[in-house]
Amino acid sequence: MKLLSGGYREEKRVKRLKILTVVFASLVLAACSGPRPTGEAASPGTGAAPGGSPVSGGRLVYALSADAAGFNPVTDQFASQSYSMTGTIIEALVGVDAEGNWKPVLAESLTPNADADEWTVKVRPGVAFSTGEPLDAEVVKANLEAQKASPLNTAVFAPVTSVEVTDPMTVKVTLRGPWVAFPYYLAAQIGMIVPKASLADPKAASRKPVGTGAFLFKEYVPGSRMVVTKNPNYWRKGLPYLDEIEFRILPDSQTRAQTLEAGGVDAMGTTRDEDIVKFGALKDAYTVGRASGMAVPEYMFMLNTAVPPLDDLRVRRALAHATDRKTVISTLRSGLTEEADGPWSKESKWYAPGDGYPAYDLAKAAALVKEVEAEKGPVSFEIISPPDPNTMQGIELAQDMWRKAGVEVTIKQVDQADLINRAVTGDYQATVWTQFSAPDPDGEYIWMHQNYAQPVGAVSLNFSRIKDAELSNAFDTGRSNPQEDVRRQAYATVQQRLRELVPFIFIDHLNTGAVIAKTKVRGIGQHVLPDGDKGLPLTGSPVPYHPFSQLWLSQS
Amino acid sequence: MILRLVRLLLVLLVVTFLSYLLLNLLPGDPTTQILGLSASEEAREQLRRELSLDDPLFTRYLAWLGELVAGDLGTSYTTSVPVTEALAERLPVTLELLVAAQLVALGLALPIGVAAARRAGRPLDQVLTALSFGLLSTPVFVLGVLLILVFAVKWQVLPATGWTPISLDLGWNLTSVLLPAVTLGCAQTAVYARLLRTDLIATLQEDYITLARARGLSPRRILWRHALRPSAISLVTAVGLNLGALIGGAVIIETLFGLPGVGRLIVDSIFARDYLTVQGGVVLISVGYVLVNFAVDLVYVAVDPRIRRA
Repeated sequence: MKLLSGGYREEKRVKRLKILTVVFASLVLAACSGPRPTGEAASPGTGAAPGGSPVSGGRLVYALSADAAGFNPVTDQFASQSYSMTGTIIEALVGVDAEGNWKPVLAESLTPNADADEWTVKVRPGVAFSTGEPLDAEVVKANLEAQKASPLNTAVFAPVTSVEVTDPMTVKVTLRGPWVAFPYYLAAQIGMIVPKASLADPKAASRKPVGTGAFLFKEYVPGSRMVVTKNPNYWRKGLPYLDEIEFRILPDSQTRAQTLEAGGVDAMGTTRDEDIVKFGALKDAYTVGRASGMAVPEYMFMLNTAVPPLDDLRVRRALAHATDRKTVISTLRSGLTEEADGPWSKESKWYAPGDGYPAYDLAKAAALVKEVEAEKGPVSFEIISPPDPNTMQGIELAQDMWRKAGVEVTIKQVDQADLINRAVTGDYQATVWTQFSAPDPDGEYIWMHQNYAQPVGAVSLNFSRIKDAELSNAFDTGRSNPQEDVRRQAYATVQQRLRELVPFIFIDHLNTGAVIAKTKVRGIGQHVLPDGDKGLPLTGSPVPYHPFSQLWLSQS
Repeated sequence: MILRLVRLLLVLLVVTFLSYLLLNLLPGDPTTQILGLSASEEAREQLRRELSLDDPLFTRYLAWLGELVAGDLGTSYTTSVPVTEALAERLPVTLELLVAAQLVALGLALPIGVAAARRAGRPLDQVLTALSFGLLSTPVFVLGVLLILVFAVKWQVLPATGWTPISLDLGWNLTSVLLPAVTLGCAQTAVYARLLRTDLIATLQEDYITLARARGLSPRRILWRHALRPSAISLVTAVGLNLGALIGGAVIIETLFGLPGVGRLIVDSIFARDYLTVQGGVVLISVGYVLVNFAVDLVYVAVDPRIRRA
């Protein structure tokens, strides 16, 4: 068995130890006297073309930008990195295919009744946890009930009224009302299934995850790494290909990229456009995968529509008219992204073209501002931003554009925790925001429906506090109607209302989240779901994630 | 000794209360960090009650202090891991980094300081002085990135990032700590070398050195046996006092090189509003700082026997 990184280690080990013992002092002196770039450039990869037949074996080292808060899908809040790590061990009832449709994974099927307010979940037979405990309806019921009771999901899972076992392999989920997109929610944290022992001891499950997945937990060093090894009894025969994966947590994006160049890791997630440009140009050595379609979040300025002056539609439209998205994209993203005029990109089947979004027109913006000024006096507000240089650059750009239209904007830096808290409680006028990467438009229901808009000071999941009956009714129609053409029409209405009401100044579809790998790492974004459908390649933000069971290492 | 203990307790009380106060002045709700965006207000309120976040600040501080006396630093809000366990997992990394950085700094500062003092005012002294100021004015994150670029990316002789514990592999442990330690130690090198140079120049002008020269002792023997030890008092003081600066630098270094140390834990915990973990880290650093400076006092005696006699 050839271990990729183990092999790398063995090859380098003797050399390094010699160097370490013989030239330690000179190395230190050399280091302190500054760099002397006399070496060769980073050695290229194999240069092998993509494709080929998967080969079993090998060890993959994969760099992540952050650690997980824990690995228990019931008690720990999951981010992209949590899905990457935990997803190797714990699987969900549902997956999403390349077309964006939900497909069964641990479930064999999910069938709604005529009103879609009752879902019958058939559990896939022949699946067992790594502990030997079989997956059955009782376990699924216990998991769904634990998820409903979890404070993480109170709002999302509110429509679920009961979960019943109807036979040893079937669960019936009853809802308060029709919910055609319900299975999509089971593709995420809520649908990840753990054994009953993990439910009984959530703290242990948070540190040592157990599931039905392709890999088994081996080691976790907080803030440093998580190691998983091949599950020899995985229910999908022939998988996984890799023997072991080490997830290495490297928070600094620059040193993460340097580690990839230095050969310390085989793949990494990134959000830096310079990484995409740099590694993308080295096609023989690296592959760059970027999320697309619904999986891409939108970068925007979120406006609090419940507070002046942004409660005035004319001001919001003026700001949108004054925002030159092209300039923002060329300045901040090296021109890599597409302009956005709503929460869904043109690559998505849910995108509805429309001309309602305010186009860049400084004269129109200035006229609207003058109109408001004549009534209410000067227009000014504060925008809050995390102290990230790239984000600040974007805000300063917008500040300059808006000033040209006659709007004075002050920038206040707050840290991420404060920013989120202010968004939730409405203690802001405007902020920079990234959101809307759910696979189905219903995933944005709680963020824009008027039922979730609360007054300033109260917790509101509708952060912009936009209250619009037409918008909300359209979301209700999309949630309750199983016919796709009706849903498309409903979500077209959602997009139209967002363009008209401008609670968000959309900038671009932020597909600069990427996975960059050496070319010998194959299969990223090319996985197949259990029933044979091609899976959604990459999803999640800011750094996208993907399954690992079908990744393999080219020997060439 | 008792006075020192009392002083340590006072320092701990002041530092922990101030940090508790400052943390609580930070805007941002820990429940939002723990439960995420989609939790309801009811869920947040329940969690707030469970964590006693609604209690007055002083009440919470006293409760925390009571548990500290019993040896319990509490449990992390975000990971549900006991704070002592989280700190114990990370402490060896930071300790090794700090010790290695000090060794690098002293290992470089001694020859540089001595060479500069022996040739005071000459070209070598001027070159070494310029080098010291160069190192002193280079931010650690810039130096770190440059070192990674040269030794990891270009030459590929050292790992760019990552950490291997001593228990797993000593060789890999040393290679993984080398670049971070050099990065962290370089700035201290300049400080130590300058201090040593200045003190050594003064010592070399003392009467007893002149007497030693008159007795025919070799310059090397005079320097290393008679001049260096009394010249090292300021250096030893700086080593102790610099612990704080090193810990500050370690926060950056640990993030840059992906080391799972206490510094990164504290920073992550501040962003997550994980008050108890931050408090635990503050206690650890405060105790460490006081103990190191206590050890420095003992070293004075060993370095200069006149202090013992006094």
